[in-house]
Amino acid sequence: MAARSLRAHLLRMLLPPIAALLLLGALVAYYPSIEPATAAYDQGLIDVGISLGAYIRNGGNNYWVELPSAVDQVLRRDSYDTVFYQVLAPGGEVIAGDQGLPPPPGENLESIVTYDTIYRGQSIRAVSVPAQCGAASCRVLVAETTVKRKRMARDILFSTLLPEMLIAIATVLIVWFGVKRGLGPLARLSEQIKQRSPGDLRPIDAAGTPEEARPLVSALNGLLGEVAQASRNQQRFLANAAHQLRTPLAGLQAHTELALARPLPDPVRAELAQVHEATTRTARLANQLLALARAEPGARGNAADVNLKTIAEREADQWVHQALARDVDLGFELEPVTVQGDAFLLREALANLVHNAIEYSQRGGRVTVRTGRRDGQPVIEVEDDGPGIPLAERERVLERFYRVPGTAGTGSGLGLAIVSEIAAGHGANIVITDGAGDKGCRVAITFPHG
Amino acid sequence: MRLLIVEDDAPLASGLRRILEAEGHAVDVTSRGEQAVLAASQERFDLVILDIGLPQMDGFEVLRRLRAGSPDRSGPMPVLVLTARDAVEDRVHGLDLGADDYMVKPFAMPELTARVRALLRRSQAHGGPRIVHGPLALDTVARRAFLKNEPLELAAREWAVLEVLLGKVEKIVSKEAIIQAVAGWGDDLSPNAIEVYVSRLRSKLEPAGIKIRTVRGFGYMLEEYKEAKAN
Repeated sequence: MAARSLRAHLLRMLLPPIAALLLLGALVAYYPSIEPATAAYDQGLIDVGISLGAYIRNGGNNYWVELPSAVDQVLRRDSYDTVFYQVLAPGGEVIAGDQGLPPPPGENLESIVTYDTIYRGQSIRAVSVPAQCGAASCRVLVAETTVKRKRMARDILFSTLLPEMLIAIATVLIVWFGVKRGLGPLARLSEQIKQRSPGDLRPIDAAGTPEEARPLVSALNGLLGEVAQASRNQQRFLANAAHQLRTPLAGLQAHTELALARPLPDPVRAELAQVHEATTRTARLANQLLALARAEPGARGNAADVNLKTIAEREADQWVHQALARDVDLGFELEPVTVQGDAFLLREALANLVHNAIEYSQRGGRVTVRTGRRDGQPVIEVEDDGPGIPLAERERVLERFYRVPGTAGTGSGLGLAIVSEIAAGHGANIVITDGAGDKGCRVAITFPHG
Repeated sequence: MRLLIVEDDAPLASGLRRILEAEGHAVDVTSRGEQAVLAASQERFDLVILDIGLPQMDGFEVLRRLRAGSPDRSGPMPVLVLTARDAVEDRVHGLDLGADDYMVKPFAMPELTARVRALLRRSQAHGGPRIVHGPLALDTVARRAFLKNEPLELAAREWAVLEVLLGKVEKIVSKEAIIQAVAGWGDDLSPNAIEVYVSRLRSKLEPAGIKIRTVRGFGYMLEEYKEAKAN
């Protein structure tokens, strides 16, 4: 699903009603103001009609208009519109003015009528005014084109619309920036979540988040709680699995060793030696699988300050015995250096590197364990002078269950995968290079600055 | 020696018992923490081998009660903790529960017997003035050493270094730890000086089959004395 912008959504929701309100507002403002204005212009036309009526003369049944040309000019003068007029005798015949001016609709000739019509192809506004001529009633029609009326309508419309447009624009701007500002606490919340370490499953502090975002925070906290519970369950399961697997293996190992210590017929001894070998291998595999499971993000313990030198020193006894058994010279170059991490996993990573180095060294080989800093970064390094790892294999050896083709020994192919996962979990890099003098190999785990 | 094994896994417990009996020890076995606490309160064991993952009262609680009990005249009973749980290693280290050593299951039996021997020797050394390591014997009161029952001449600092190593057979002793232990003798000691004392000790002890292993860049380890190598 494409990410939906809250702003765009809000604007989509807000704009149609704003536009409708704008239109309605314009209409509501327009009509009340256009009406008095129209009435004022109409009154002007009526006044002209009444004035014209005063120039009607009659003698018997003859009617005529005596209009001085100066008056005619004054009547017709208008800065915007063309003015027309027509004077009609009581019989209806035109006695003065412009021919063909359309009469008012209806027959009511005794009162003043205003109407819209078309004259010479132009829309006009006209009035019909009755005028006294002798005993009878004459009629004066006065009309004008609608230029100034339209202009006035436009002006009124514009003056009502402009402020409303400004309000609409302001609304859009307020939504655009207000949403960003309003979502500020959410942005801070997401920053807070982003900066957490993966293992940090403590609830998020709801203080400082707006009330509207509280449900989100509490939902997140609910999820975090469930994840933390799942993680605790996984850790408990692993602890139980470790116990359930290792204890019988220890018994199996004890009994095979006891049996091997007895006088036995050679074929039986050979079989038993195989059982013992398989037991040892199974024990190591069980340990490795448990370590791999422990390295999973959900199963990790809390990070603490871990001194890499201390870890190496504590395990040194055990490694020295492994090395002695294979006649390998195990040496140490340890400088104290502290990293943030899980002590168990870091020890497991180092133990796997040392185990590999000892396992793949020839008799009389040399293995060196180093801790310290390189270019300011904490580093663990194990170097051997064994057969080394071919350049092309250096990526693949970090995969689970992968073993370099033609490798002797009984490894499971898990050792370096475990190291790789643990390193990744600590934000560390693994680099495999040739050992000193282009012999053997050197595996370095480099931790981020800190 | 009297040993108490506290382990609820029957095959492992019986295996351990037979291996340790074959070493010449008298071994009692119990599968319950409560019984272990009771037994230890009634008689003295030279070593308790204690599993952490026990039903009901777990090994930590047993250890706490053993340590809380009134201290024996001959010092606290040494305890070797067995554990199948990774996290326990950290607790044994970190909480200073008073265990003398620990092993993570599964383990090779020779390693177990070596650790048991080392712990027993250490507890003997606590009690008695005599330290014995194969053909080597140190009388710490008279400050006299014997090799194959012949008097052995040791300079004061050689004696001091040897005493430190004998206290931690099969364990690496760092050069710093040796310097600290020997520094009571006054002037500063350089790591090079330690190398000199160790090499003198070697030339005196190796003909009798006692080996001091150099752990490059770290320290030294007095190996378990093996009969076969002496011959």
